[in-house]
Amino acid sequence: MNENEFGAKLKPWLERSAQAVGDFQATRLKAARLRALDAFQEPVRVLGLVAVAPGTLQTIQYSIVQRALLWLPMAALLATLAFQSLHESDPGELDAQLLSQELPPDAFIDQDFRTWLGKSGG
Amino acid sequence: MARKIRGLIAAAALAASAIAAAADPNTPPVPWSSLSPEQQRILGPVAQDWDRMPGFYQRRLIGAARQYPSLQPIQKERFEQRLRDWSQMTPEQRRAARETYQGLRKLPPEKQHELRERWLHEHRGDESRRGR
Repeated sequence: MNENEFGAKLKPWLERSAQAVGDFQATRLKAARLRALDAFQEPVRVLGLVAVAPGTLQTIQYSIVQRALLWLPMAALLATLAFQSLHESDPGELDAQLLSQELPPDAFIDQDFRTWLGKSGG
Repeated sequence: MARKIRGLIAAAALAASAIAAAADPNTPPVPWSSLSPEQQRILGPVAQDWDRMPGFYQRRLIGAARQYPSLQPIQKERFEQRLRDWSQMTPEQRRAARETYQGLRKLPPEKQHELRERWLHEHRGDESRRGR
């Protein structure tokens, strides 16, 4: 039996089995196929220095993007904290506002004013 | 993940220490001569008392002086008029005044206006005597 005859006999069996493959198995098979194809691809030079397989490069790139996405909320939180720290570590700002607004500082230590404020929910 | 959490805790601690340093009684004093001519002009009303002030309060006033250029003319006038009286208040009075002021700012604008008008109405005589 030559190769073509063997292929023709095998084809219906493969087609029948292919129909029974679930999503999960299909994904794993696709990944295995890509890995196999990767081995036959020309290596890519990273920054003109190191030669790596294209699949490996994609994995590295994906990993970098994934890590960046994970760090993004963390970086945003730290930036907010740093901004608040800078903002609050200049307490002179509050004093400048207090001294320059309509009421004199005496008003804010006046018992009547504090009582009214308390009743107003401040 | 544990490293990330440790990093976060360190950042929060740094922020907290910066805020705490604002009222640290061990803060070294700032010599009047080290202030810029602009700072000396703005803080002129308290020049005579400067050397007797604690370092943290001097730094607070320097912070207030930093805000001065961004104030409107009427606000600058009030700032200059009130700076000396403000500095002669006790630290407790200043702290209480800041708390009350922050409480006022939390109210809706119309309520703030109402309270201001009420106080000014009742103390109009005192204010005009002060040359307001």
